[in-house]
Amino acid sequence: MTRAAPTTLRPTSAKEVRDAVLDTPGRLAITGAGTATGWAGRAGDDIAATLDLSALSGVIHHNPGDMTVSVHAGTPVRALQEQLAEHGQRLAFDAARVARGATVGGLLATADAGPSALVWGGLRDLVIGTTSVLADGTMVRSGGHVIKNVAGYDMAKLMHGSYGIFGPLVEVVLRLHPVPKAVACVGVDGPVAEAASRVLELMASPLEPIAVEWVSGDPGRLLVRLEGGAQTLPARVERLCELLGADAREVGADAWDAHTSLTDGPHAGGDGDGPALDGAVVRIGCAPTRLAPLVEQLPATAVTAGLATGVATVTVPGAAVAEVHDAVAAVGGTSVLRDRPETLDAPAWGPAPSALALLRAVKTQLDPEARFAAGRFAPWM
Amino acid sequence: MPLARSIHDEFVALLGAADVLDDPVRTRTYECDGLTGSRVVPELVLLPRTAEDVAGCVRICARHRIPFVARGAGTGLSGGALPVAEGVVIGLNRLNRVLEVDPENRRAVLEPGVTNLEITAAASPYGLYYAPDPSSQQVCTIGGNVAENSGGAHCLKYGFTTNHVLSMEVVLPDGEVVTLGSDTMEQSGPDLRGVFLGSEGTLGIVTKVTVRLLRTPEVMRTLLADFPSVSAGGRVVSDIVAAGIVPAAVEMMDALAIEAAEGATGAGYSLDTPAALVVELDGTVEECEEQFALVKEICDRHGCTRLHIAGSPEERANIWRGRKAAFAAVGRISPDYIVQDGVVPRTRLAEILERIDEMGTDAGLRVANVFHAGDGNLHPLVLFSAAEGQTEQAEHLSAQIAELCVEMGGSLSGEHGIGTDKACSMPRMFGEDDLAVMRRIRDGFDPDHICNPGKLLPTPRLCGEKPGLYRPHPLEEAGLIERL
Repeated sequence: MTRAAPTTLRPTSAKEVRDAVLDTPGRLAITGAGTATGWAGRAGDDIAATLDLSALSGVIHHNPGDMTVSVHAGTPVRALQEQLAEHGQRLAFDAARVARGATVGGLLATADAGPSALVWGGLRDLVIGTTSVLADGTMVRSGGHVIKNVAGYDMAKLMHGSYGIFGPLVEVVLRLHPVPKAVACVGVDGPVAEAASRVLELMASPLEPIAVEWVSGDPGRLLVRLEGGAQTLPARVERLCELLGADAREVGADAWDAHTSLTDGPHAGGDGDGPALDGAVVRIGCAPTRLAPLVEQLPATAVTAGLATGVATVTVPGAAVAEVHDAVAAVGGTSVLRDRPETLDAPAWGPAPSALALLRAVKTQLDPEARFAAGRFAPWM
Repeated sequence: MPLARSIHDEFVALLGAADVLDDPVRTRTYECDGLTGSRVVPELVLLPRTAEDVAGCVRICARHRIPFVARGAGTGLSGGALPVAEGVVIGLNRLNRVLEVDPENRRAVLEPGVTNLEITAAASPYGLYYAPDPSSQQVCTIGGNVAENSGGAHCLKYGFTTNHVLSMEVVLPDGEVVTLGSDTMEQSGPDLRGVFLGSEGTLGIVTKVTVRLLRTPEVMRTLLADFPSVSAGGRVVSDIVAAGIVPAAVEMMDALAIEAAEGATGAGYSLDTPAALVVELDGTVEECEEQFALVKEICDRHGCTRLHIAGSPEERANIWRGRKAAFAAVGRISPDYIVQDGVVPRTRLAEILERIDEMGTDAGLRVANVFHAGDGNLHPLVLFSAAEGQTEQAEHLSAQIAELCVEMGGSLSGEHGIGTDKACSMPRMFGEDDLAVMRRIRDGFDPDHICNPGKLLPTPRLCGEKPGLYRPHPLEEAGLIERL
């Protein structure tokens, strides 16, 4: 039996998204900027159509005085930040793939986050409202434009990390923060175990770092970012250098390029001019003090390790993915496969969570015919 | 219909007779939470001592389809722990141990009956604290905080309970025990933990909570500033935000609230000012000093009539004592009062306060205002006298204020929840489709609707219907509608 190539639908409004869902029978894939196309499980091969939300883009309403903004889900965060910066505001979020054009909806659905999640959390902590379209065409809204709100179930959280299995996001409301007056970065070279003991001291200090990441290399480097007032930051940088040791020194903002390139380096899709991905990228999370020993035991060729958050991104040979899942589960952590070569057949997730039956029940309630994002949570569901 | 004796015996076999209360005098103790106007005496009160026993109680309830309501300290203000007449209350106060404090990973593992303040007490020897701080923190429990997604004065900067809970052990309404969330902010799949948080006990019972702890700031600077009007105070808040400062807390009180709080605590508030603002900054010495100087300058620019800077931890505690006592203190100036809890976009605070003033005048009732000025969370206190027959007027005015918040682009609740109190107002904020989807979420967790029925969502569609097992709707009894 031959199949026609799946159609790609490119709605430009929430209503068009709903019409597309209602008018297209069968399974639907959802895409935005395409920066996480291969993440998590593989999409099934019986997709009737792809909903491309990249044309559903732009700011709907920015309230500078209330520090909130509502956007269409396909809005690239990079573009959003440029608009917000004109008002001295920002979305306090720095996932690496933002630079490649990742959208608000895509970043929320994949539960991505960057180094500053140490202080600001991920998008789950910054989202205050969402509107989504369900498989039966229901347009569902939760939350609103105020940061303090406990009316009703927090559906926005349900969408975080959902990889689209409940349906496409069409609008997202976010809380904002001021752009800092000054930013500084301190680096200190050393292996991950040494960095981990420095981080323990740092986190016991009152210095309030915004990001604390170890980047693999020879011997590797610990990067610490501070934000603050223009007059006051130099004194804090000095205190930070004293705390981290004699070899710690202030480094330029470009020091974070090494972090970005390891977290969001070569891609299976071959976008950009970089080398093709060799191996698999796995995102892992565990209690912070367990992270350094864990990454040391993995056959990783590249690592970025948030030693204060417990979140790391590791590149490993494709054949080692299952081993990584097992090792992370053994220390009580979680793991998910991100980028990988097209040909690699590796498990996307570690052991199923205890709440799997609950997850399935919620999925059945919202998408009883399993129309959305088939395969993303294979083999769990 | 009363529960069968055999079911009672099943609970006794599980918990022991002493921990199953059926004496009407004792069960009456649990007839309401902080929303004292709504009272229902439960059939039984169960007092388990372990998480396993909680799960056992729920399994018995699930087997017999008995509605159950979990309850902690009963400090909720929206009727979230209101019992169901032919159901059981599962009291969690005996699960009150701090199971672990892990200073290196900055987290604590707690049973649900641990009070909010006990978490910080357990963490403080390590230089750590738990950030969400509802005014009732001395008595309210972490289990209740999870159910209500509680906030507090410091959540403008530090976020709400949902931002501080890493994982939870939860007994689902069928008695299954699962873990939601993980050791980090990373998660495997959709954030079910986030849906459970703030679900007001309608999706299950939390039996263990792992929370994030934060390092105690190097310094905390607190000022109390008087202004000639509430709107002048509001402009100060706007300018602080515009200057790129995120204070740890910004609280405002109007003259009536000040009168009550000062009368009760003698905390040092001015009795002749129309508005007082409490601003707290925290962080490193360098940042705090720079920002504090800027805040003082902004206060002066807006006609501040008195500026008192806490010179010691005791003075700081005193300022907060006055603010946190405000609700209860209102009892000094009025025989009865209703605490409302609504939110508006912060930039509309002045507008809504004017409208509330007008509405109060029209209703012939006084309204005292205490609010979280940084995030637009209002707590209008509607003062009335039940003895003078003003209860209905007060309830009407209070509901009108909450719905006005929604009209202004805000929310029915910022931190006290919907409960039974505002379930009927939910259609003012959400469309029928939105509410229908929330019901579908609930069905995924609790297909038999035995877990805290009648809360949060209008039940099932018509307000006025009592939670729990079927009883005729008042309109049905009046012959005006038919049940299809």
